[in-house]
Amino acid sequence: MAATIAVGDVIPDGTLAYLDDDSKPQSVSIHSLAAANKVIIFGVPGAFTPTCSLKHVPGFIERAEELKGKGVDEIICISVNDPFVMNSWAKTFPENKHVKFLADGAAKYTHALGLELDLTEKGLGVRSKRFALLVEDLKVKVANVEKVGEFTVSSAEEIIKAL
Amino acid sequence: MASAMVKGGGSRLIKSVSAALGTRFYAKVATGTDIVSAAPNVSLQKARTWDEGIASKFSTTPLKDIFKDKKVVIFGLPGAYTGVCSNKHVPPYKENIDKFKAKGIDSVICVAVNDPYTMNAWAEKLQAKEAIDFYGDFDGSFHKSLDLVTDLSGALLGTRSERWSAYVVDGKIKALNVEEAPSDVKVSGADTILGQI
Repeated sequence: MAATIAVGDVIPDGTLAYLDDDSKPQSVSIHSLAAANKVIIFGVPGAFTPTCSLKHVPGFIERAEELKGKGVDEIICISVNDPFVMNSWAKTFPENKHVKFLADGAAKYTHALGLELDLTEKGLGVRSKRFALLVEDLKVKVANVEKVGEFTVSSAEEIIKAL
Repeated sequence: MASAMVKGGGSRLIKSVSAALGTRFYAKVATGTDIVSAAPNVSLQKARTWDEGIASKFSTTPLKDIFKDKKVVIFGLPGAYTGVCSNKHVPPYKENIDKFKAKGIDSVICVAVNDPYTMNAWAEKLQAKEAIDFYGDFDGSFHKSLDLVTDLSGALLGTRSERWSAYVVDGKIKALNVEEAPSDVKVSGADTILGQI
């Protein structure tokens, strides 16, 4: 099991999935999005669950312009869901302009970050912890990992303070 | 090439021959199988919101509660929010619910390897919750027990359910239809199983 990602680490590479404009599944590497860029990666336990849908994602959508203004090139939301579910969930946020919703269906990338969370009892299986990372040129500058069930440090509000 | 047209017990021979030739993966179940015995200790998760999950203490539904003493039509599909499932497989079951009820069917069930919250949101989007009972098989244990899984890594979905349908009376499979290609709705559609009840 990988050690939990921490400040100073080089972010591991990994492949995430999404649906393109023709609704075809495609893959993208994290490094291709993050290399030579300032990116925020935030993780949620599950599409279509309340804290994720009503608090965590909207916070980043609302502050996206502000984050871009502070030099953030990409805002990426990842979850252990397939790209069809992520795509449909993303569509429930019609006001979203900048947040990319990427799927980590087999939890491989979540595992590489050391951020798995076993939610089998809730009927979800192995998922991601709630977290937010600020990554500059592949180096982790901020790593805010939430305690299970909480929503404080991983918010958009918190990570803006670091910019 | 052995076809996967399934209607009654003759399918078993076709499937065994296909398996011997290495041409097709075959299910562990056939007509006559007791679906509850074929998947012991397996539960499904009824489609629900998170709040409903909390209220029910995240309880799950054992198979016997679904099938014992009931006439059930159940169909499984690769994934919530995918094209063929949403546009071709679910709607005819929803539209024909009165015909199913007229034939004495207690419940029409849709199941997929998805979590119950995703299934719930999808069922609401399809406006199908009144007609159909949606269940999640979040860890695939139901479909793995019945050998009704297929590798859809090519579509970035991982291990999923085959596309299939069954008519089950008091837990005994009376008719079983497994689609040869998961992207088709030929034998697993509502019209076919209506004719088998």
